[in-house]
Amino acid sequence: MKHMENHLKQTKGQVRTRFPPEPNGILHIGHAKAININFGYAAAHNGICFLRYDDTNPEKEEEKFFVGILDMVKWLGYTPYDITHSSDYFDQLYEWACELINKGLAYVCHQKAEEVKGINAPPSPWRDRPAAESLQLFHDMKNGKIDEGAATLRLKVTLEEGKQDPVAYRIKFVPHHRTGDRWCVYPTYDYTHCLCDSLENITHSLCTKEFQARRSSYYWLCNAVDIYCPVQWEYGRLNMSYAVVSKRKIAKLITEGLVADWDDPRLFTLTALRRRGFPPQAINNFCAKLGLTGAQIVIDPEMLESEVRDVLNVSAPRVMAVLEPLKVTITNLPSDAPAQLEVPDFPSEPQRGAHRVAFGSEIYIEASDYRAAEEKGYRRLTPGQSVGLRHAGFVIQLEREVRDASGALTELRVTCQPVATAAKPKAFIHWVASPRPCEVRLYDRLFRHKNPEDAAEVPGGFLSDVNPDSRTVVTALIDGGLRAKVYDKFQFERVGFFSVDPDATEQKLVFNRTVTLKEDTGKN
Amino acid sequence: MHDVRHPLPHHQPAALGNTMSAEQLEQYNRRAEQAEEEIRQLHSTLQKLLSGSANSNDTDSEEVARLRAENQKLRYRVGILRRATEEEQAKSGGAHSKTGSTAMAGGAQCLFVALSELFSAAIRAAFPDMDEVATAVNSNSRFGDYQCNAALPIVKRLKDKGVKMSPRDVAQKIIDCVPSSPLVERLEVAGAGFINVFVNKTFAAEQLRLMIVGGVPAPTVPRRRVVIDYSSPNIAKEMHVGHLRSTIIGDSIARLLDFLGHDVLRINHLGDWGTQFGMLIAHLADKFPNFRTETPPITDLQAFYKESKKRFDEDEAFKKRAYDCVVRLQSYEEDIIKAWKLICAVSEREFEKIYERLNVHGLVPRGESFYQSRMQGVVQQLTEAGFLEEDDGRKIMFAPGCDLPLTVVKSDGGFTYDTSDMAALRQRIQEERADWLIYVVDAGQGAHLQSVFACARRAGWLDGGVRCDHVGFGVVLGEDKKKFKTRSGDTVRLVDLLDEGVRRAQEKLREKGRDQELTADELREAQENVAYGCIKYADLSHNRNHEYVFSFDKMLDDRGNTAAYLLYALTRIRSISRRAQLTPEQLLEAARAGTAIQLLHEKEWKLARVLLRFPEVVVRVTEDLFIHSLCDYLYELSTTFTEFYDNCYCVEKDRQTGEVVNVNMSRMLLCEATAQVMTRCFDILGIKTVQKM
Repeated sequence: MKHMENHLKQTKGQVRTRFPPEPNGILHIGHAKAININFGYAAAHNGICFLRYDDTNPEKEEEKFFVGILDMVKWLGYTPYDITHSSDYFDQLYEWACELINKGLAYVCHQKAEEVKGINAPPSPWRDRPAAESLQLFHDMKNGKIDEGAATLRLKVTLEEGKQDPVAYRIKFVPHHRTGDRWCVYPTYDYTHCLCDSLENITHSLCTKEFQARRSSYYWLCNAVDIYCPVQWEYGRLNMSYAVVSKRKIAKLITEGLVADWDDPRLFTLTALRRRGFPPQAINNFCAKLGLTGAQIVIDPEMLESEVRDVLNVSAPRVMAVLEPLKVTITNLPSDAPAQLEVPDFPSEPQRGAHRVAFGSEIYIEASDYRAAEEKGYRRLTPGQSVGLRHAGFVIQLEREVRDASGALTELRVTCQPVATAAKPKAFIHWVASPRPCEVRLYDRLFRHKNPEDAAEVPGGFLSDVNPDSRTVVTALIDGGLRAKVYDKFQFERVGFFSVDPDATEQKLVFNRTVTLKEDTGKN
Repeated sequence: MHDVRHPLPHHQPAALGNTMSAEQLEQYNRRAEQAEEEIRQLHSTLQKLLSGSANSNDTDSEEVARLRAENQKLRYRVGILRRATEEEQAKSGGAHSKTGSTAMAGGAQCLFVALSELFSAAIRAAFPDMDEVATAVNSNSRFGDYQCNAALPIVKRLKDKGVKMSPRDVAQKIIDCVPSSPLVERLEVAGAGFINVFVNKTFAAEQLRLMIVGGVPAPTVPRRRVVIDYSSPNIAKEMHVGHLRSTIIGDSIARLLDFLGHDVLRINHLGDWGTQFGMLIAHLADKFPNFRTETPPITDLQAFYKESKKRFDEDEAFKKRAYDCVVRLQSYEEDIIKAWKLICAVSEREFEKIYERLNVHGLVPRGESFYQSRMQGVVQQLTEAGFLEEDDGRKIMFAPGCDLPLTVVKSDGGFTYDTSDMAALRQRIQEERADWLIYVVDAGQGAHLQSVFACARRAGWLDGGVRCDHVGFGVVLGEDKKKFKTRSGDTVRLVDLLDEGVRRAQEKLREKGRDQELTADELREAQENVAYGCIKYADLSHNRNHEYVFSFDKMLDDRGNTAAYLLYALTRIRSISRRAQLTPEQLLEAARAGTAIQLLHEKEWKLARVLLRFPEVVVRVTEDLFIHSLCDYLYELSTTFTEFYDNCYCVEKDRQTGEVVNVNMSRMLLCEATAQVMTRCFDILGIKTVQKM
């Protein structure tokens, strides 16, 4: 009770959560849920949320991961109340370990790692050694007197699934990113996590379902050390189909040259999603819709993509771009036709602004918007069927095709008529005039199967399931006047949503296709 | 591979021809493929060799990698073991080893210590047969951030053993053995075997960020119980400029030791016992006969002293009564003790006023009287142990290493200052449990204190690693380079000196028109803090062993290495964040949120390095107790900051509107770190900073 009183005195009843990633890898969509839940829950209750790097394992930590994690948290729109590290508390944790030994609740054990693996491991013969002996040995561990692997500190508690006496400290002769060469014993997750939560006066220790089995040891340890004990709540982990998120597997994809890097837009790391153009609000909305349930869920990327469309639809200005250009010359364009047109950024909400595009007798249209043969149900330009030009106020009618020596179509010559006087066309198509070229990268799912890691579904392993056509690059044409910065997002009218890639330069814009306009309907 | 398209064997021409069967053809093709494959492999191996990445895949290199990893771990373990051993030695009271007392730990990473330890480990690994070699790490490198100059002495030692090795080879060998560490970016051999150390900037930036978030951290050192003896004026006399140095230096050292987490007891060894009290008490009894019930209203103890002295010199009967009082005082007669206590209290109140002005706190008054009862015990112990020798009726004590013996008992059986100093020393160790004694006493007492230390050592009192330091200092001179006196030739009263300082500081501020801009309170705060700060700083910034010339003009000059300049510099740094409209809380918040400190500009990096040297400087001062090194550091920090500020935009304002256009947050954090370190330095020096001046 006194701990609770003390805790309330310090927190004044404020909700305090934390996002505790291990700084040993790149954040992925699963982490987005953890971030959303912890930061979102705190924000919803007027509370605070810590970013705590759970840096207890010195072997796996690199500077870039620390920076990358914070970068992603900020990108998702959250600001940590404070940034802490588990290693900030190494001194306190060590002191408490000594206390546990003195209380007879922890002991130094010499069983080998392989001996204690599995469910029915033999009990430790060192379980009941005198506390003084354990304490001396623990000091010896800390002082470098004992070999790596030759001793661990274990807690006298049985976990839910029957596993006995989890390890609290192990020896590693490895320098730590932050504590330098100070320590050669490092605490485990089991030992560190709840104590750090308690030290930071966390009120809601939110974690994924697999840690349910650690709940009793969490409570046991806080009570054994005799400190304030936060409450642990579990929620279901988020898995994404058609994706792999394991650090090792992504590394394999990279070394095999199947994807370019950790932020290849086909991956589901958060940097990849940012690069592909997913707005952070969409990811947050997606997580919020999944809700805080205990069920482990596997989600189809479609659901996330649909959130992305909803956000981009109202936030990405529309522009016209032609991915597969076909030159069109208007032979009778009136001399008073405007050289520039004002086009609204959001046609349904003209008050949100407009941009100017060039217009003239020489324009480019999508090659697929013309067919040399008449076809039933095809509503766009054919030799016998006129089509309207979006925003231009003209309807064009084919005059003749121009083909090169090999017979390939190189140009269409058309006549135009103002839309007011012409017969109403069946469709309006997009176009560009005085364009400049840009690179457009089109992405498809990286894996062909829903569960690329499932041996039953993909017997050849996830590497064999990679879709070789998951990335295509085309040179497209956009209006010469379009200016854009990295991560700016656009709707290319009738084509899809696109985001400027960091590879873009002053001379040449590079776009990634974020999502198509609609779920893949097969329509062309 | 085009040239080996068809490497068919030539020595079997018979097989070639129209008669060759399909089977043979197949066989040849297979062999040809095999040969092609071999050539391909040879070719790729050759390529790898040429590009320097040979053996990247074969088993040999795996073995090497494994061994290398194991070697890394072993080296790391050596470092841990070594430190543990040192800590244990320090704990068990072993000799006060210098490295042991400065080991880096959880708090601020002292780069210098950490690097010294790295190189120490590397040298041991590289030259395991060699006795301990100084790592000679210093921060004077012109090319790197630090430099290790151990190679040359090692070459010399190797040569003595008949081994020839060039300094550059030795340096390279050391580099190869340096354990991996997050604080080292890279190492390189330069010139005649110097090792340049380049500190990892990310690591440095993170240290600075932590400094802002957590405050300027103290380097972790083993905690000691320190008794420091300073100020020590005489009761019933006024403090003069001679006491000033002891007070200022002692207070600063005590503050430094506090900062480092030591358990510090400040002792004011007052002159409160002796024959002069006879006449004072006799005079008191005459002038205020009812002093037992009513506290006499003595305000001017100085005048009171003069009156009694006059009577003592002129009135024989009074003189006799005075001697009588001495005897009664020494036999602790109640009324006489009461009178004595009254006089002491008046005097101590006067001292307290001065300490208050000088921002000196926590001094425990414990005069000579305190040790009277303990002297007998000391004499008894020394006699029983057979340390005392008869000399013409006196009992004296010699000790190895000191020429002057102590007179422990006079020929008339009385005790001396030697006796009370020995008693005080023993009391501090045995009753106060001190393991570090510091005496801030003028340099003239050096020989005497050395004798006291030597005799204490001989008596076994210093066993168990008690450290004794005499922090001596030279005399204060006037601007005429003669002993500091008033025009009339009297010693300068401290009160008058402080008053004049305040008056001069006020003049200076008025000269600059500051009285127009500051409120009355701000002006008063500024003139007092500047005056006392300048007096203290002028004293502390000089090597204390030298005599120093007291000059208000110099100490109040706002250019050069003076408190006036440094206090002003600090207010300017603080005003930068005000101009950027950032509160200290916002800066803290930014640091907490992980705002990275960029150290891209040369001057940013230079400033960062100076900032990170703070723990190193502090630790060094605890070794030699020369506070002026800290002042030098503070001045260097301030000038380095100026260089940074002159070269790096922190806040950009619109020239016309004066509106803030751009704030470089990383640089604002550098400003903040500088302000924090400067404030910490002033704190240790006992100088109050000002918000505006």
